[in-house]
Amino acid sequence: MSGGSGTIMNPVSILVAILQRDWAMMRRYIVNTVSSLVSIYIIFLFIFLGIKGLSSYAAIGALEGTLEGTVIGFFVWTFSVIAYSDLAWSLIVEAQAGTLEQLYLTPAGFKWVAGCTVISNLALNFVPVVLLLVVMMATTGQWLNLDFISLVPLLLITILGAYGFGFALGGLALVYKRLQAIFQVFQFVLIGFLVVPQRLPWAKFLPLSLGNSLIYDVMVDGVRLWELPTGSVLTALLVGAAYFAIGVVIFSVCENIAKDRGLLGHY
Amino acid sequence: MGAATTALDVKSLTKVFHERGNKSVKAVDSISFQVNQGEVLGLLGPNGAGKTTTIKCILGLMRPDTGEIRVFGENVEACYPRVLRNMSAVLEGSRNLYWRLTVWENILFFARLHGVTSREDKAHFENLIRLFSLEDKRNVEVRKLSQGMKQKTSIVCTLARRTPVVFLDEPTLGLDVETSLELRHVLKQLASEENRTIIVSSHNMDVIQDVCRRVIILSQGRIVADDHISDLVSLFKTKAYRIILLEPVPEGLEEALASRFKGATVTGDGRRTEVRVNLLENDDIYTLMDILRDRGAIIDEISNEETDLEKAFLEIVRRERNNHESS
Repeated sequence: MSGGSGTIMNPVSILVAILQRDWAMMRRYIVNTVSSLVSIYIIFLFIFLGIKGLSSYAAIGALEGTLEGTVIGFFVWTFSVIAYSDLAWSLIVEAQAGTLEQLYLTPAGFKWVAGCTVISNLALNFVPVVLLLVVMMATTGQWLNLDFISLVPLLLITILGAYGFGFALGGLALVYKRLQAIFQVFQFVLIGFLVVPQRLPWAKFLPLSLGNSLIYDVMVDGVRLWELPTGSVLTALLVGAAYFAIGVVIFSVCENIAKDRGLLGHY
Repeated sequence: MGAATTALDVKSLTKVFHERGNKSVKAVDSISFQVNQGEVLGLLGPNGAGKTTTIKCILGLMRPDTGEIRVFGENVEACYPRVLRNMSAVLEGSRNLYWRLTVWENILFFARLHGVTSREDKAHFENLIRLFSLEDKRNVEVRKLSQGMKQKTSIVCTLARRTPVVFLDEPTLGLDVETSLELRHVLKQLASEENRTIIVSSHNMDVIQDVCRRVIILSQGRIVADDHISDLVSLFKTKAYRIILLEPVPEGLEEALASRFKGATVTGDGRRTEVRVNLLENDDIYTLMDILRDRGAIIDEISNEETDLEKAFLEIVRRERNNHESS
């Protein structure tokens, strides 16, 4: 066996490996998956009952005091929380378990492994979260427009920023380790981004905010993707991409610090 | 016979860890060595000697402060991470695995990350499973395996990546004697049949002595010995003898031996006496016999104490520490 005869780097092979791993884990942790969805639903139920009980409820922003706003906001929030926390958590768990260094030995580079983890995580969570959305719609009696052709691209644009946070927090966790408490707090920060009213001029530059508003237009008003203002869609895309890029840069800086200090295998 | 190919070339590798309060620890101190293709090299050293840091710097998991590392001529820093197609490693044994996946799923996962996915590769995985006697555990989740089985699975996952250079950091940790012997056999087989370059770091001297021809000993981040095991052992070969007498300690024996042989010991249990003595000159054996005969000692047994790698290692590390402290 001689040098340089190694295999060709193949991102598809990495994606298949990670999808198979995550699917096998998901099947074995099915109780965990179901119970986390049930917990999210219970939180939603409390909010829904609270809104019903408060007739004077007239919150400003994406919720706009409507049940539709609450359902959509909750749907986007669930996706965003899964997006940022799965990546950041998986980095912590892998470092804790001892598998992170093995992933770093991938010849294509760890960034491919992280990228494929993001795709796998999105693919495997899509169906359960959409099912949760259907249950939420049934609970509220607000049947929203599920135009997936418009919805999926907008959802991807919107949660791009959340993935940026995932990379940033994951990178920080490589260096500073015990950040679990910040992860919990961050879930509520995301709610803040979703309820900021769009009429505020700077709101569109916040992560999730503009994308959530566009999703509202699609799901409530039945607007198709190509009927939305191009400027708004492009702004949402650029804002999402910018937060994603910032997250990746923070991750790279933290990764370099971790390698300098020899922290990759530590927890 | 053609010149051997250099698989690994490490030049002036230094790694310093900076701690709080401007303190710094030189974990690896300007070390250089080469490993040829197909060679099985042992990396020995006490805890904190810099073995794992050296391995992690070579693998790019830690960034060295200075030095150059080449794997089959490719500069690791310049060609990272592509250069990893030539390297794989067992770093923390069973902790390198997904405990919720089965043995087979783990093998497939890590091999796929290295792009090792062909039908022929899968036949190779099956062969490794057979070699490590894991056939019955193929579809069992790793968390349900014993520590030894987990360790073996971790080694199989590393070997399944089919890289020409393999690092094994403490591969026998948690293995019973029988499994450890099995592993030694497989490593020797892999080195000879597949021409793999294997670097084994271990505290288990038996494993190193059995599997490796050459050993590098690290102490306080520096290479203090780099030689063939046989040469190292012969370097520390002593004329140490153990003599058993069939009687209580003869009168005056202890004093007579002490005056002639430094460090000689005499111990007795009232019925038998054990004498341990280190002879320096060739004719010292005659002087020893004269002393014993003069006291009428009845000799039951004489044996020459053999030097092994462990003794050589301990002596090298002890000398290095003394030198370091005195300087």
